[in-house]
Amino acid sequence: MAEKRRSGLPATAESKPGRGDSDEELLCHAGVGALLRAALLKLVETRPEDPLGFLAEHFGNAASAPGNGPSAGGDGDAEQQQLGRALWHLSLAHHSQRSAFNSNTRMAYDLLMQGSPRHRGPGGVRGRVYTELLRGLCTEGGLSDAAAAPLLRRLHCHDHEAVPFDLFRQAALTCVVFADYVRKSQGLYAAVSCHPERPAKRVLCQAVLGTLREALETSGDSARYLEASAKISPCKVAQAMAEACSRDKGGARATMDAQEFEDAAAELFLARVRVVC
Amino acid sequence: MIIEPVDCVVKAPVSLQIGDSIRPGVYVIDINFPNGQAVKIQEIQFKNYYTAFLTVRVLKMEDPGHDSTVKWVTALRDLQLMPNPHSEAGSQDYFAVHKHQMLVEMNDVSTIRLILRQPSAAWLNFTIDEIKIYKCLKEESEIDVPNWLSNLTPVEESSDLQGLPDPENVSSSIQQMWALTEIMQSNRTTVSIGRFDVKGCYEINLLSYS
Repeated sequence: MAEKRRSGLPATAESKPGRGDSDEELLCHAGVGALLRAALLKLVETRPEDPLGFLAEHFGNAASAPGNGPSAGGDGDAEQQQLGRALWHLSLAHHSQRSAFNSNTRMAYDLLMQGSPRHRGPGGVRGRVYTELLRGLCTEGGLSDAAAAPLLRRLHCHDHEAVPFDLFRQAALTCVVFADYVRKSQGLYAAVSCHPERPAKRVLCQAVLGTLREALETSGDSARYLEASAKISPCKVAQAMAEACSRDKGGARATMDAQEFEDAAAELFLARVRVVC
Repeated sequence: MIIEPVDCVVKAPVSLQIGDSIRPGVYVIDINFPNGQAVKIQEIQFKNYYTAFLTVRVLKMEDPGHDSTVKWVTALRDLQLMPNPHSEAGSQDYFAVHKHQMLVEMNDVSTIRLILRQPSAAWLNFTIDEIKIYKCLKEESEIDVPNWLSNLTPVEESSDLQGLPDPENVSSSIQQMWALTEIMQSNRTTVSIGRFDVKGCYEINLLSYS
């Protein structure tokens, strides 16, 4: 019976799938196959802990993308939505999963370029949007505003400037790596202090930061990785700490609090971040 | 390791005779090196053919930098190749003459003159064949061992580690922080944003009129 009805309406058969159309035609017309395939690929790539929530966000982003559905609110809201979506893409893969991170960065960049003409310049994403995105990345990485400020100062672009993709990718990677670095430095302080309640000894903190600084300052050709890793081996670190303690018998009471340690460690990293120019 | 002999040009033996003897008793073979190079000789190998005594004279360059002062010196005097010139012993043996057997240092040699003597009239002809000259191999230069490489074996842990943080934990954290910094540094791009201002002020040379 469905076939008979279809043959009676030849003119409208191509425009819109009617109730009587077969299931395959319905799915094909709506592009559902491609949609589901993309969602499943993304799910497999990201492997989130909450697959249902991830799929909900994915479809929500796809639905509210420009051109896909009715636009919500004014330009300001749209910009926030774009930023939110770009941040979501960047959060899907850890930076250590380099190829996934790179492709997510590309998608975020393309997303921001697709936005309203106010968001993009002739050479790339607008500086203001870029800075907002970096700020969002730092916040998501657990960095406080005070901790992120020196990094953002180095990566900062003027509002009117157009940021090319390579710079965008480098800055995004630097932000997420810095967030990891600060977390690790907090872990290091906890290891040095030996006790969660008591602050760590100043001489020990300085010795530990000194070994890190020496390793970072190792220069040379490809053998420098071996040389640097030899400097931060457990026995070398133990030696440095023992020497520091034995040298400073009198001032053994001086301590360094967690924030000062974190700032000093961050300084070592930030000194090596290239200032955008 | 196979060491190749040095390329050399061996001239035809020249006989030295006094008067009209039936057969010469002395032959001289000159050996030159191509391109006029001066060689530091390690060894001379050859196959004997009924030569009784061998004398080696070399032409040495006194100063390789200057083109003057060449000197003929005797490197080997009357080396006996055949214990009895009239007998077969040693007549077709292989010989090798090492630089330590020579009387002089075989540095910067440009020509070698082999003087062959055979006092016995029993043999129709005598010469030496398959002459091969080997030069000194370069000495291995001492490779400096970096300091950090020699410090890799762990020093005996002193008992002063009482009260100190666990070095394994601390070292592991430091290593991860170092690795993160390296990741950031190795991903630096040289792309610039193409700013016209330098530290807030416009750089005249970067502005263009077009």
